[in-house]
Amino acid sequence: MVFENPLILGAIGAGLAVGIAGLGSGIGAGITGASGAGVVAEDPNKFGTAIVFQALPQTQGLYGFLVAILILFVFTSAPAWAMLAAGIGTGLAGLSAIGQGIASAAGLGAVAEDDSIFGKAMVFSVLPETQAIYGLLVAILLLVGVFSGPGVQEIAALGAGLAVGFAGLSGIGQGITAAGAIGATARDPDAMGKGLVLAVMPETFAIFGLLIAILIMLGIMF
Amino acid sequence: MRPARMNKIRAVILDEKMDSVIRNLHESGLVELYDMSAKLESPEWRAFLAPATSAEYTRQIATLMIKIGRIIDLFKSVKEEEKTSIKELLNPQPPKKKKMSFSSAEEAISYAEKVLSDVDREVSEPSAKLTKLENRKNELNLLKEQVKYLQDFDVDLKCLGVGEFVYIVSGLISKDKLSELEKSLDDVTDGYCEIVKGNVVVSENEEKVPVIIAVLKEYMDNVGAELRKLGFERFEISNVEGTPKELLSKINQELNNITSEIENITSQLRKLAEKWEEELLAVYEVLEIEKERGDAYSLCGRTERTYVLEAWVPQKYAEKAKEIIENAADGYAFVEIAEPDEPEEKIPVLLDNPKPIKPFEILTEMFAPPKYNEVDPTLLIVPGFLMFYGIMLTDAVYGFLLTLVGLFLWKKMGKVSEGAYNLGYILTLAGIATVIAGLVTGGYLGDFLYQFLGFDVYKSGLALVNPLGESAYISEANPLFKMGNITVNNGPMAILIFSIVVGILHLFIGLLVGFLENIKRGNKKDAILNQGLWLFLILAIVVGVAIGNLTIIGAAVVLVILVCMAKGFMNGGIMDALLGAMDITGFLGNVLSYARLLALCLATGGLAMAVNIMAKLLWDSVPAVGIILAILMLLLGHTFNFVMNGLGSFIHSLRLHYVEFFGQFYEGGGKKFTPFKAKREFTTP
Repeated sequence: MVFENPLILGAIGAGLAVGIAGLGSGIGAGITGASGAGVVAEDPNKFGTAIVFQALPQTQGLYGFLVAILILFVFTSAPAWAMLAAGIGTGLAGLSAIGQGIASAAGLGAVAEDDSIFGKAMVFSVLPETQAIYGLLVAILLLVGVFSGPGVQEIAALGAGLAVGFAGLSGIGQGITAAGAIGATARDPDAMGKGLVLAVMPETFAIFGLLIAILIMLGIMF
Repeated sequence: MRPARMNKIRAVILDEKMDSVIRNLHESGLVELYDMSAKLESPEWRAFLAPATSAEYTRQIATLMIKIGRIIDLFKSVKEEEKTSIKELLNPQPPKKKKMSFSSAEEAISYAEKVLSDVDREVSEPSAKLTKLENRKNELNLLKEQVKYLQDFDVDLKCLGVGEFVYIVSGLISKDKLSELEKSLDDVTDGYCEIVKGNVVVSENEEKVPVIIAVLKEYMDNVGAELRKLGFERFEISNVEGTPKELLSKINQELNNITSEIENITSQLRKLAEKWEEELLAVYEVLEIEKERGDAYSLCGRTERTYVLEAWVPQKYAEKAKEIIENAADGYAFVEIAEPDEPEEKIPVLLDNPKPIKPFEILTEMFAPPKYNEVDPTLLIVPGFLMFYGIMLTDAVYGFLLTLVGLFLWKKMGKVSEGAYNLGYILTLAGIATVIAGLVTGGYLGDFLYQFLGFDVYKSGLALVNPLGESAYISEANPLFKMGNITVNNGPMAILIFSIVVGILHLFIGLLVGFLENIKRGNKKDAILNQGLWLFLILAIVVGVAIGNLTIIGAAVVLVILVCMAKGFMNGGIMDALLGAMDITGFLGNVLSYARLLALCLATGGLAMAVNIMAKLLWDSVPAVGIILAILMLLLGHTFNFVMNGLGSFIHSLRLHYVEFFGQFYEGGGKKFTPFKAKREFTTP
């Protein structure tokens, strides 16, 4: 079989982790950056603020990078499929950066109008990162061999990565909701609580993904 | 745990004592004046109370403020770019306060008028001169611009304009229209026209030619019309003489003179600014304060000889405020302290926490201040916020740096900015929490000690857990504990379990607060369905895990789902019942959300490790300059990691509170208490 050499799956995993997550971060940071350029053109003093908001969607790329390094580290000890799964999970979940970029762009826009909303905008903008964090979480759990259910050594591990990865795309939806909620909060600061409830809804699917991933890793099949 | 209790003060005050009452209340800053104007619209109040108006003198004050503001602006405009020294930047000092106290607004106004006239006497002349010079400068610059185009012509500019027989005009014409111009002018003047052309110049992205046109005076009007048609840009040059070159040098000469004169006057003004600015800022502030007092009257009601004033006051200051009013009115006042007579949402909210907790109020207020009868969650936030922050950043060195940053903000910047004071205080504590977490997990710039010194903190037993693997205390050979097919035998697993346990505990506290709140308000049903249910589930999980019997947990879960479905069914039929069944995933989501503690803890350590590895690679593989590159890599990489994860930890710690924790019991949305208080930056009473 092609996959007899575990290094192949590991290498592909590392590549996908950095590649897909980097793609997401690139798009997300691009969206925020476009908004930032507009804001800075209006008021050059807002450069620092723009940078801070643009930094948010970049974390996904960092997580991808981190998992890739980890994969390179555990080449010899981790199960081959777990390495691939970790890469795919982190990578796909890293696409949540697109949603985070949308939310950050809205947050930056709101802060450009009214400085006092900085903290609130920040909280909203960081919501879509949860998906990426779940991806990172599952990746690390796979790589350090914490859960050793019967399937984790084999192709079943891929299921865990796919679950958390694809469910992590809910981050895009969450980003869109968060962007809307930032707008609402900018108009009425009291809307923050309710806005948070709405913006957290899309996270449910990421939690489903995380849950299924954990069940797969535990080897629990009903 | 609750916002400060409020009282309403009602006072009837003899009109001649009103001024003194308002002044004393304003200085004390204890109360928030209540705007009675809405109330006074209703007929029953109207019957014996009329709305009062702002004091007479406020208009006078506004005029004075505009005048003084203008001089302050002038002083600011002549000021040299202030070079703040690094020392000042690191240790900013609040402005010096001037002592200024007046017993009445009239006194303050006459003082301000005196200062204004003193300043005006010295400033008006140079400032008028400055304006004149600047106008002349602009005029000359405009002229210079135009004359420059005529540089190559050897004519006396004195001739320009309407003479006895000829009319001479100069200006720019686009190069493409030049031949058209020549032709049409030739036509309208019957050939009595002379056009002198200069060299092509580029102006506003177009090639243009400067020309001087001389025609017989009688054709002047026709020529003017023709020129306008062709888009001729006429130069406004008049009352000058000499060739353009001569004129240019004259203009430059005059400009030089003006510049040096402007500089003279500016430095003169700068000296005046030094002498007067502090005084003016102080006077301006006094006027602002007096204006606020004058405007305060308009919030009250009045009869022929008395004013009626209402104000919110925190309960603990109520007696004191009453005393202040009575003393200020020499006894010609009737004051009553009453319980709030308004619906809850109209009562202003003042958070009332002990000093060590107070700075954390900004975290509560960032979400929304509580309603008047709601819990103030500030105290509840503190331990969780610091602990989560520490766990997510987990690095002793980063924690130390953060403490330094926090101390700097708190002790230095905090002197001039309240926001910096609060943030600095929070960051200092968060930094200490991070140091503790870093000691427990053995994070010192990630695995720096191991990479560069070969010292393994985990094997030597100096750190309790290794977030990325095994340690002397938790390892395959030495598992923490075993349950079912989950074995806790390494760091990540231990931190994960810890995170989930902390999360459940955190949620439990939030649920319990919500439960008690609902019971207190008499909403027993809400208490049981919204919080009791989950409290029961958590207790079942704890008991189930403790005695190792998972069926208890299963049974509890089924029971909770059934109750949720029943609750949904009662609210709106089958669909809602199905949705109700999903409530359990919401709860699960809340619990799992705390797993981010592990993920972010690993992210900091992992990225620090990646930086170290790359630096090590540079060190080992690049000859000679490798060491420098490695040091640069370490500096930049760790700074980046510190900033990114420091920020991330802050927001994620907040998020856990705002979304997961507050979701169980807190709504917020109160109106903040804004005291009627003299804002003093440059003065003391």
